[in-house]
This record gives sequence, structure tokens and C-alpha cells, in this order.
Amino acid sequence: MAIIDMKNVSFQYTANQKALSNINLTIQRGEWVSILGHNGSGKSTLSKLLIGLLKPSEGEIMVDNTLLNAETVYDVRRKIGIVFQNPDNQFVGVTVRDDIAFGLENLQVERKSMVDKIDFYAKKVGMYDFLDKEPSALSGGQKQRVAIAGILAMSTDIIIFDEATAMLDPKGRKMMLDYMKQLNQDGVTIITITHDMKEAVLSDRIIILKQGKIIKDDLSEAVLRDKHTLEQSNLQLLLPLDILFELEQLQLSNERIKEILWELSLNA
Amino acid sequence: MKNIVIGRYIPGNSFIYRMDPRNKIITMLILMIATFIINDFRVMLIALLLTLLLLPIGKISIKRVYLGLRPLMFLLLFTFSFQILFNTQGPIVFDRELNYSILNLLLIATIVFAWFFTKRYVPFKLIYFLFTVFIMLYVLINFELGNVFNTGNIRIYQQGLELAFFIMIRLIIIVTLSTILTISTKPTDLNLGLEHVLKPLKIFRINTEEIAMIIAISLRYIPTLLDEANKIMLAQASRGVDFTEGKLKDKVVQIVSLLVPMFIISFKRSDELANAMEARSFVPGRARTKLQELIWTRMDTIALCFGVILLMSSLIMRVI
Repeated sequence: MAIIDMKNVSFQYTANQKALSNINLTIQRGEWVSILGHNGSGKSTLSKLLIGLLKPSEGEIMVDNTLLNAETVYDVRRKIGIVFQNPDNQFVGVTVRDDIAFGLENLQVERKSMVDKIDFYAKKVGMYDFLDKEPSALSGGQKQRVAIAGILAMSTDIIIFDEATAMLDPKGRKMMLDYMKQLNQDGVTIITITHDMKEAVLSDRIIILKQGKIIKDDLSEAVLRDKHTLEQSNLQLLLPLDILFELEQLQLSNERIKEILWELSLNA
Repeated sequence: MKNIVIGRYIPGNSFIYRMDPRNKIITMLILMIATFIINDFRVMLIALLLTLLLLPIGKISIKRVYLGLRPLMFLLLFTFSFQILFNTQGPIVFDRELNYSILNLLLIATIVFAWFFTKRYVPFKLIYFLFTVFIMLYVLINFELGNVFNTGNIRIYQQGLELAFFIMIRLIIIVTLSTILTISTKPTDLNLGLEHVLKPLKIFRINTEEIAMIIAISLRYIPTLLDEANKIMLAQASRGVDFTEGKLKDKVVQIVSLLVPMFIISFKRSDELANAMEARSFVPGRARTKLQELIWTRMDTIALCFGVILLMSSLIMRVI
């Protein structure tokens, strides 16, 4: 069952240049999709279109069988949550508790169930002990976890991670990826927008954008091996695969391969 | 930069801390109005005493209130001397002749110099200043050194004296009350209280909820922006901008080198924040529920009644 369906969607910021052109995209409920692309490929524009922050110049977007337009945009936003790149610029509340509450307050949830939800989701992302802390006392990873809790509390069906791990340290990044995995297992549809291949590996399906066009849309395993397309869109092959391809070309004996790998690990 | 405190909230626990912020604002306003109505000197002193009594009862640091008053010392002194010197109504209470002679004036100049160069070693500057002024007056009144070429009168009138004290005590009461409010209330609670108190402004189509949201976000982002400013200052310092010294012209360059990136960053931030808020279903002007809860306790009712009684009694006393 399709939860997101984009038909012939185009978008342009200025009159002569299209940020996105003729996008056709269907995402199934419960799927984990990565949207890969280099800077300026239109991937962030795509996420803003989905949540109605931008209006497509052409085409139509269906979210959970609702056509996205000026009247339905608020209903659609109840179904899609989005975690942005900069943890500081999406922290609205003065404390963690206030920030998780922000979305609930907007949805006019009653105070009593709000308190329960905040406690529950703060525990879920491991931020329960930090509820009264101010953002300046938190690390980037912790702020992003608060952002996730705020979205989970609104119980959206879809969560978009718009380069949400780009500004985190390795530890924070790993934790975020673990949450994504867990959420996906819980049945949440996940869209990660990234240029990090390690993040894309985890998803079911990868879509590659280049200059506003979809140039590849396939299962992850197939896309990750597609050296030609990846290089074309300035993306790096995963290191192990890169080594594998190189070695396959050389046609060496097992002994020689072991030697080369050993040297590589010493130099790395 | 790090030492800037937003609001002057100091954590603590007393009945004043536990009071509803709405009530704190309203009661404070009532008490302030009462101090403007009082026109009897003795009642004014009682009001001052009651206000100062609030400090130990409410466990509020007296030092902090003094620090709040200190910037106002100059204003207090100015209005006080202005009233005393230029209000010429009512009977005269003090009348002396001032003797101006060259030697007298020289002596005064010496005193001023002495004050100017020794004041940095004296802990109580204001008292020292008043003491110096007193000595100067004493010299002018009692000494007749050499040729007195001119004389002038210093006259203090009763009403001038009264008004001077009234204004001073009023200012002290008002500053003390508002300091108690800001010390005992978190900025976010204060903001929420203000939002409720200002609700009647809706008649004039002023959206108090939006204003409160703007204040709340400013409160949230001031520390972040200060952090940012620090980073930019370090970055500019590493490029050779010296923020510590320089002539006025250099200062302008320094400030521009800080302000321009600050503006750009703030605009970018606010754009992203607006997106993040909208993405989380925020619609400006639409009703929201509130996580923060304001609880009206019995203490609030008592305090409010107390305030109203004080206001009423000062009104009645004025009429009688």
C-alpha cells in the first residue's frame, strides 16, 4: 500500500532553473528509503515538498491517500515528521520537556495525556533523565534524540531524516542509526536524506537524485554495486565494495589478496 | 560574555517562589499603584517597611535587591537634590547664607580634588560623595576666609523635602518589588504569566499568544546566539581583529566584523527554525494547549486580598 505517491512533480525556485523535474515516486508503508544525492541535487527540496513547506510548481503529491494542497497541508503534517540537520535550529523549547511538548501543544493534546506521552517517549529515546535540562547542556546527538522523541510523541506514520546525522560525532551517528532501525521495525515508514553511503546501506531501497532528476531507483543491494551510477552522481562506493571490485579486476591468487588487504589495513 | 544572565532568576523556595506568576504580576502592580496613592509620610514609611519585610520572609537575597537598586542610585540622588533645591513651596525649614570668597572657593576646589583622587580607595562611594558634598556646604556656610565678594542663600522648603523623600521611597519600593518578582520567577513562567495578564488586550486585536511565543523563542535562543557571537569573535580574533583595544574608528570595524556574520547567521537560523516549527504543526494564531500549568493556591488569594486591602486603605486615607 502506497503511503507516498508523487506524480510528475516539478519544482523551481527561480524561473529558469528547475530544482526538481518530473519526479515520479511511490513509497510503500513501512518501507525504509534512502534518498542519495550530492549538494544541490534537490534532495532537501523533496523533503520540503512532502511536508508542504514548499508547493510543487507542477504535479501532485498524495500522502496516505490525501492529496496535498493548501487545505490538507495541516492534516498531512500530522502524518509526517521531519528531523532536520542542525540540532540547534529545531529545538524550540527552553527545556527538553518543553521541546517534546511543542508538537503536542500544536495538536491541542490535553495536558494530562501530554505529560504521559512526554515521559513515555523521553524514556524511549533515553532522555528521561534530561527532561529538565536546557539545550545548551546537551550534545548534538542528545538534541537529535529529543527531536525524534518530539516527533514520535506526535505519532506520525512517516519520519524523514533530512541529513539528521550530518552534524553528529560518530557515537551520536551510530545511535541515530540504531533508532532508525528500531523505528522501522516498529512499522514506521522512514525516509533518510543523506550523502553518507553507510547510512544508505541500512535502508531497503535507494533513490539517487542528480540535478533534480531521479537517475536510479532500486533495491539497496543493486544500487550499492552500481559503480557507474554512483560515480556519475559524485557518490563514493563503500570501501569494502570498492576493494572487492578492484581485486576482482586484478584476478589475483588468494595469497596475494591477503597480502594486499593486510597492507591496506596497515596504511589505513 | 558567558556571565550574562537572562532575567535575574535565582532558584529558591519560599511562598513567594510558589505563588502563581499571574498573581505575582497583578499583586505587584496593585502594590505599586498603592505607593503612588499614599500621601502621608508615616504611611509611606510603613509601606517601605512592609516591602523590606518581604525580603526575609520570602527568603530573597537582600544583596541582590541592593544590586538592583545600585544603578538607580544616581537617579535617586538627582531627583532628591532636584526637589530639595528647586521646590519652593511651603514654609522654609532651612535657611543659611553661603559665603563666596576666593579662599573659600580654593578650599572647595582642594576638597573636590581630594575627593576625586581618594574615592577609588573608599568602599562606600555614595556615602563618601554625600560626605564630601556636606563638607563643602559646611565650608561655604561657616567659613569666611578673606574677602567675601558675593553671598547666596541655600533654602530648603518643607514641601521640597517631603516630595524628595516621597519620590525616593517610592522608587525604592518599586525597584524592590520588581526585583522580588524577577528573582523569584523563572523567565518562562514570567512570560506565561504575562501572556495571561495581557489577555484583555485581545479587544484591541493584539495577539498576546503570539507575542508570548516570540518572547519564549527569544529566551530560548539568546544563549545560543551568545555562543555564536563568542565563536565569531574567536574566529575574527584569529584573523587579526583585536576586540580589546582600539580607537573609536577601530571599534566600529570590530563591531561590524561581529555584527554582519551575526545577522546572516540569525536570519539563516530563524528560517530553519520557522521550517522546523511549521513541520511540527505550528500554525501562527491557532489555539494551542499548554504543558506549563499555572496553579492558583490559597496563598495567592491571601496575597491578592492583602494587596487589595492595602490599596483600599491607602485610597481611603488619601480621601480622609
